[in-house]
Amino acid sequence: MHHIPTVAIVDDDDGVRNSLASLIRSLGYEARSYGSAPEFLADCETGDPDCMISDIQMPEMNGDQLQAELIAAGRRFPMIFMTAFPTAPVRERVMAAGACAFLDKPAEPDTIAHHLAAALAHGHA
Amino acid sequence: MSSRLSAAQHSASRSTPPDTALPQRSFFSPAMNTTALRIAAALLALCIFLFDTLSPLEGAVAVLYVLVVLLAAGTGRRSDILVAAVTSLILTVVAYVDTHGLSLAGAPTLRALVSLAAVTIATLLSLKNQAATATLAAQARLLNLSHDMIFVRDTFGQITFWNRASEETYGWSAAEATGRIADELLETRYALPRDAADRVLHDTGRWDGTLEHRTKAGGRITVESRWALQHDARGRIVGVFETNTDVTEREAAHAALVQSERRYRRMFDATRVGVVQEDWSAARRELAALGLADGEALAGHLATHPDLVARLRKVTKIVDVNPAFLAMIGAESNSHLHQTVDDVLSESDPTFGPALAAFARGDGFHEGETEIVRADGSRVPVIFAITFPTVDDGDGNVLVFVVDITERRQAQDAVLHAQAELAHAARVATLGELTASIAHEVNQPLMAVVTNGEAALRWLRRDKPDLQEVDSAIGRVVSEGRRASEIVKRIRAFLTKTPTRSNALDVATLIEEAAQLVQRELARAEVELRVEVPADLPPVIGDRIQLQQVLVNLMVNAGQAMAEHDGRRLLTITADQAHCQVEGGRIEIALRDTGPGISPQHLERLFDPFFTTKPEGMGMGLAICRTTAEAHGGKLSVENPPDGGATFRLTLPIPHHGTAA
Repeated sequence: MHHIPTVAIVDDDDGVRNSLASLIRSLGYEARSYGSAPEFLADCETGDPDCMISDIQMPEMNGDQLQAELIAAGRRFPMIFMTAFPTAPVRERVMAAGACAFLDKPAEPDTIAHHLAAALAHGHA
Repeated sequence: MSSRLSAAQHSASRSTPPDTALPQRSFFSPAMNTTALRIAAALLALCIFLFDTLSPLEGAVAVLYVLVVLLAAGTGRRSDILVAAVTSLILTVVAYVDTHGLSLAGAPTLRALVSLAAVTIATLLSLKNQAATATLAAQARLLNLSHDMIFVRDTFGQITFWNRASEETYGWSAAEATGRIADELLETRYALPRDAADRVLHDTGRWDGTLEHRTKAGGRITVESRWALQHDARGRIVGVFETNTDVTEREAAHAALVQSERRYRRMFDATRVGVVQEDWSAARRELAALGLADGEALAGHLATHPDLVARLRKVTKIVDVNPAFLAMIGAESNSHLHQTVDDVLSESDPTFGPALAAFARGDGFHEGETEIVRADGSRVPVIFAITFPTVDDGDGNVLVFVVDITERRQAQDAVLHAQAELAHAARVATLGELTASIAHEVNQPLMAVVTNGEAALRWLRRDKPDLQEVDSAIGRVVSEGRRASEIVKRIRAFLTKTPTRSNALDVATLIEEAAQLVQRELARAEVELRVEVPADLPPVIGDRIQLQQVLVNLMVNAGQAMAEHDGRRLLTITADQAHCQVEGGRIEIALRDTGPGISPQHLERLFDPFFTTKPEGMGMGLAICRTTAEAHGGKLSVENPPDGGATFRLTLPIPHHGTAA
């Protein structure tokens, strides 16, 4: 049976999270939504997603801290980051740590789709 | 006549105390004079008697007793005359009897009878003269009682009588003045030529007019002079009786009055303050007709009867206005356009009713601020002061002083405008610090809109469109779009340049809205925000945007202070009602953070303009916050609580009951 890729969405903003979930499902993937980084880390039952799209600016734990935690835990899967307030230092740090993409909000859905497809293909390869 | 008056003068002078006016040509005091005359008369009588008795000469020696009577008459006393007369008659008879015995002796007897007759006649004449003199003396005493200067001059202009008032006012004694030419002594100045006065005097027997006289001290006095011709028994002119009233002070008072009048007129005409003279007597009548004695009741009646105030505006007449007021209302002259108060006051004027109440209450003064209508219909903001006249000046003399405050208003507006600009700049600066948060705030919903839209399209374009997914995606597009516009609206409201507005503001809402603006910023700094506001707080009066600006500023500062601080990051905002004895009810909003607190050396200067502890700070934030708080009648203070952090306190007054808008 054909494997349906799973994409995890981590964003504290309900509107952004719900719209991304809808987009991802419309692209034919399975979407899992998390309202915060700790919430994602706490979800141990469902296993690692095929890809993760995460916001940078979040209360409690931000995007790059999440990335660092995951890498530290040895959990490696493609990660795409987005931010409404991009700064060069954060971009460099995140990309250097191995992120697939660093997108500015609002991001073009086509761009998201493109990076998602690339990430998933890369992850399978 | 003049001689008789001179005699009267003697007599009158004699009856006066010795230290005042002495009779002229006298080297003795009156008492000495009287005594001397008596002694002289007695000695003379004795001599005549001895001569009459002892001398072998047969002659009418006794006739000389007439001299004794006349000497005694010199004292002016009736008793002296009678004593001298009786003594003379007795001595004549004694001498005759001593010489001739009781028998008749022809010629000697006849001579004795002639002597007796001569003494008797002289006595009678002296008595008559004494009586006339006494009358004149009484009259002269009356003249001396007069406050008018009275003197008599003979046909040559020489002074023959000079009363007490003349002595006192002109300074020359009667002795000094008598015999002098009146016009020379007094250096009389005539308004008209002297001849004219004389002609009138001779034609009518009288003249009156205003003269100027000199005094002994050298001063000049103005007198009102009345002249009357004096005739003797045969109708010949013997002198002029002149009465002068000193009107110098009256004239000076009148001149001062005229001068004062001119001075006030100049002030009235030249001042830049508009002056309006109004007649309020009609208003007085109408107010009295109401029969409301109590001032409060009347004020209440006026407040609830605008129609009455409107009518009284029409019956309160403008009597006069000065050039400054004409200029103020842009009128050429005191035109018919402005006849009553109603023509000048704007129809929305709220001040005339209270002014009427003050007037009816008997206040002397009332002031206020209103608008007057110019000739071209435009309005002029003015302050005015009304002075109600005292009772004796009448209601027709109500004076209103009016000052045009257009320029002051403009200056005030300019200040308010500048304040608004400054506050705006401060808000822009604050938002600058919030850029990251704002970008996030706005971009989040935009992101959601675009993503939802794209998702909806994809669901729609599937081979088998999933309309349910489309439906929910588009639903989210709409709600996210609204969310975006709300955020933009909020930021724009915060940035709008508006003049200060005063509204009743709910404290909880005020804090809530400010918190929304900084929520993201605080989240980014990982600051927990706790708001504790009781539900039943009374509203405060103020400008929503400006007060939010203060709260936003304080919250951003707190967030920044705690961002570099380890440990718990908690910002607690509380609001409470406090009562201050002096300032009345207050709302106190306290913002307490768990940051490092304000270092003691900064506490003093924290609110100074351009004082900052931030590397890129402008140092205006807190200065503007304090200015804003004070402009609202409140305060902004800071303290370091003992258990750490910093607490900013914003206190705002609660309006008195009934004034809340």
